[in-house]
Amino acid sequence: MRAHRHPAARVALGLLIPILLLALWQAQAEVGGARALAFVPLASIAAAFAELAASGQLLTDAVTTTSRALTGLVLGASAGVLLGIAMGLFRSVDRLIGPLYHAIRQVPLLGWLPLIGLWVGNGEAAKLLIVGLAAFYPTVLNTYEGIVHAERRNTDVGALFGFSRAQLLRHVLLPGALPLILTGLSQAIAFAWIATIGTELLLGAGAGLGATMSLAQAQQRMDVILVAIAITGLIGFTLNTLFARLRGHLLRWQPAIA
Amino acid sequence: MTSNLSRIGFGLAPLVALLLLWQAASAAGLFPPQVLVAPADVVAALLAMWRNGELVAHLSISLTRLLIGFGLGAAAGLAFGTALALSRLAEALFGPLFQALRQVPVLAFLPMLVLLLGIEERFKIVVVAIAAFFPVALAAFDGVRGVPRSHFEVAKLYRTPLLPFLGRILLPAATPPVLTGLRIGLTRAWLVLIACELLAAGSGIGQMMEMARQLFRIDVVLAGVFVSGLIGFLLDRGVKLIERRTLRWKAA
Repeated sequence: MRAHRHPAARVALGLLIPILLLALWQAQAEVGGARALAFVPLASIAAAFAELAASGQLLTDAVTTTSRALTGLVLGASAGVLLGIAMGLFRSVDRLIGPLYHAIRQVPLLGWLPLIGLWVGNGEAAKLLIVGLAAFYPTVLNTYEGIVHAERRNTDVGALFGFSRAQLLRHVLLPGALPLILTGLSQAIAFAWIATIGTELLLGAGAGLGATMSLAQAQQRMDVILVAIAITGLIGFTLNTLFARLRGHLLRWQPAIA
Repeated sequence: MTSNLSRIGFGLAPLVALLLLWQAASAAGLFPPQVLVAPADVVAALLAMWRNGELVAHLSISLTRLLIGFGLGAAAGLAFGTALALSRLAEALFGPLFQALRQVPVLAFLPMLVLLLGIEERFKIVVVAIAAFFPVALAAFDGVRGVPRSHFEVAKLYRTPLLPFLGRILLPAATPPVLTGLRIGLTRAWLVLIACELLAAGSGIGQMMEMARQLFRIDVVLAGVFVSGLIGFLLDRGVKLIERRTLRWKAA
């Protein structure tokens, strides 16, 4: 009766719909004509994968995009943590920068591209600016929240020990804010990855998965596009999973991780 | 009330100061006009585009796309998420595929969708719908799964028919997370729509900015940044207001 409770049956059920969709896709491909341009046969997707992998283009693209995302992430997230700490520690900084931060954050991320394009062109700098910004927003917010909502009893102990502001930050505030900072970073990773693909698509030049997709779109190479989509999803998933592991490891001292 | 007003005043003061500084720096000729124009010029560009109807035309096209796409995507997401949460079989069938597709940024689907659908209206609406679908489906799933077991048992005991069960038991219990999901979906939909319009469109706020970039009209680009930010803010704030309204009974 309850076949879907069995692990093996669950896997089979989970595969059923994807296989059905692939079969439908293949059937569309075999109709031929104009349809075949969009619905490429499954065999040619596999061939495109083999071709891209053998020529090394896939590896180059994957490495370029990933390192671009990570570079932007490191730049944006470190700036974000620093600003978050400053805003959390000093009311004046919070008053001064806070409204500006919230105003700028309202603009859809890629809406900055035309402006940044006019300022710094369409090269690497423009891409890193957008990716950095994507990583910056959530880290500022979460770091700030973590510092501001430090537990009162912890800061009281710090005051009792006569901690200086720097000592309080190092021994009380930062460890207390760590879970939220890590939450901010995990959001930053996801946003940075999305922003990298988006900028590569819109400023489609040079290497990278997004640029390859953009070129493949112009050449109507659906097979190449699908391979790039799959790799994009796979790398994004891997980055998120690796960070979730790291986060769990860093927070293992916590009784219960939210 | 006064303290509220003064807090808003304090919050706005740095922004106003920055605008004045920017205006003064531009007036003093600190930036070449192809890099940055004065805020007054941006306001002038906004007013001019407002008067000749250009801004209203772009804005209404963008918002129509957003509304239709978001409506379709959110409705599909609600139905899908609820079905997956209620039926273990549906979850086993569609869950893995959903989780796999969710890993791909929506923007990565753009080239594929261009080849499948062309770059006409249909394309933009489908993209917006996809952007809205995933967060709403996820929120609906979590929301319905989060409904306490006892609710289901009571409904079973009283043999509540499906529709009243959905409307009177499930809906109120699942509303808070679903509203959050709708808000995230709306923000994502707006972001993705702007990206679509930058990439391929004959109209809309994104296209207005892209066109202005090509013509080196930095005042129009800045006006577009302002308008898209304002719309994003209003959408987010609007759903937050609804959240607060609908959840009032909960606080009591």
